[in-house]
Amino acid sequence: MSNEARTQQEDAYLELQSTSEFQALRKKFRGFVFPMTAFFLAWYFLYVLLSIFAPDFMGQRVGGDDSTITVGLLFGLGQFVTTFAITFIYARWANRELDPLADALGARLDGMKEH
Amino acid sequence: MSNPLSLAAVVLVCLTTLAVGGLGLRLSRRTSDFYVAGRTVSPRLNASAIGGEYLSAASFLGVAGLIYDQGVDMVWLPVGYTLGYLVLLVIVAAPMRRSGAYTLPDFAEARLGSRAIRLVSSALVIGIGCLYLIPQFQGASLTLTLVTGAPAWAGGFVVMVVIALAVGAGGMRSITLVQAMQYWIKLTALAVPAFVLLALWFRSGSPSPQVDPSWHVPLSPTSPDDHPTYRTVSIVLALCLGTMGLPHVLVRYYTNPDGVGARRTTVTVIALLGTFYLLPPIYAALGRVAYPTLPAGVGSDTIVLRLPETFVDGLTGQLLTAMLAGGAFAAFLSTASGLAMSVTGVIDQELLRPRLARFAGGDVPGIRGFRISAVLAVLVPYVLSRVAEPLGLATTVGLAFALAAATFAPLIMLGVWWRRLSTWGAMAGLLVGGTAALGSIMTTMVVDDLGGWAGAILANPAMWATPLALATAVIVSLATPGRIPAGTTRTMVRLHTPERVALARSRLPE
Repeated sequence: MSNEARTQQEDAYLELQSTSEFQALRKKFRGFVFPMTAFFLAWYFLYVLLSIFAPDFMGQRVGGDDSTITVGLLFGLGQFVTTFAITFIYARWANRELDPLADALGARLDGMKEH
Repeated sequence: MSNPLSLAAVVLVCLTTLAVGGLGLRLSRRTSDFYVAGRTVSPRLNASAIGGEYLSAASFLGVAGLIYDQGVDMVWLPVGYTLGYLVLLVIVAAPMRRSGAYTLPDFAEARLGSRAIRLVSSALVIGIGCLYLIPQFQGASLTLTLVTGAPAWAGGFVVMVVIALAVGAGGMRSITLVQAMQYWIKLTALAVPAFVLLALWFRSGSPSPQVDPSWHVPLSPTSPDDHPTYRTVSIVLALCLGTMGLPHVLVRYYTNPDGVGARRTTVTVIALLGTFYLLPPIYAALGRVAYPTLPAGVGSDTIVLRLPETFVDGLTGQLLTAMLAGGAFAAFLSTASGLAMSVTGVIDQELLRPRLARFAGGDVPGIRGFRISAVLAVLVPYVLSRVAEPLGLATTVGLAFALAAATFAPLIMLGVWWRRLSTWGAMAGLLVGGTAALGSIMTTMVVDDLGGWAGAILANPAMWATPLALATAVIVSLATPGRIPAGTTRTMVRLHTPERVALARSRLPE
């Protein structure tokens, strides 16, 4: 790509930023991802808080007094499940909600080219 | 405990790695093949490769050892390893892909347009790679000595030679195939003995693990000098932010064909890692059944390898040990090859190629410099692994994460999400975070036992060094608004424009 072509393409990026579709796309992404990140971080640090403030609860044996399994252990292992669930929900949301919006914006730009 | 079957398993894993590496050689032709496999790897293969690359000596031997030592709160370590991928996917993966950079230094230069920042980033990639490679070599030495009685230098040496050959021969393409295979080798090698041992444990009347009651209670100190809450929070922070700054992890996202592929890859990776990490706690608990306390001179990192022959004698025990030894070598080889690959790329691009080109008048074939770099990338950490005081496999890997969290994580997060980041701010953040984290890590590795709060703070620097680096970058950026790179707005839009839009955009008349 020549320098001139690159400059023109990058100016096109600036132009793109000013479209309302691009702003809507950006808002949608941030509106989902930022609260979700805050939520899952809080959820992981809940374990630490519970361990500090409710150690008896976390140390409680599940299934008998000489059982090896405690609430804390189950909580820890359960985090694998929630991590997977959160990732899965994000991927599905992005595939269903975000991509069509991006497609529409892409199609509009393609349309602009034909006129 | 000399065991010919284990030796055979280790040899088999090494030879298979070399054979598949050789197969990759016939497939890779262009430079981009060497670096990112021509961006054509399917999500499932890629996810297996990420899992294979990520599950290192720390996961295979170290996590079980730490849970054995310190109790259930160490379950947090594998959760943190997994969580890092979620943070990476949601916050940085897509913009990083769109930057079109192959490596972290490429990204730093593309975003900030500064050659100096690129050099510092390159030095950090080499530093993080070295820190992460050291425990792989130590784990290999430990394993080979335990199962064959070989001298302590031998295991690491074998891994070093195999890695140099595999990386130098085929680059990333061969590595992707090798590593995808190694995830499944590792899972099988850890799962089958675990189930056999569990069955034997049930048959012997399922005796309880002999532990202190505090073993079951999360975050209970093992000694008055122990600060488990600080330690755990710091480790979780290091793992959850450090993953995005690991040089061998991010490059994998470039091998996905598109964003949908990257998401599918991450979902699969988390499922694969979660499945794998259910196994180390089993070894830790069974370890406490077999050894209420560790025999003198035995490190907890070897607990996984020692278990089979304490539960069952004869051929069965030897077979299970052989499986574990083979799986452990798969872990060392795959992680070390991914790391060596990234470090090699940086040495080749930043240090070797410019000098070789000057020396030979621009006539050096690109591949030869790459191969010299591969040898350098494994030789230096091997030598360090022989001289450094062993800290425990998972602990040393944790330090690599902490360094990544204190340096690259602020740079990437601010670079992707904050348009007022200035060149000086980014540089100050990297230097402050790097100096703080590296200083603490060196002190921890050299000084035997500091103890108390000083020891806890220096052994787990992520908790304070990461916010410090972030704050430095922000404050210096705000103070030097004149140093915001001229093309920042354009770069930011490019980073945040979905691929499909960018594609349509590029078809517009120019």
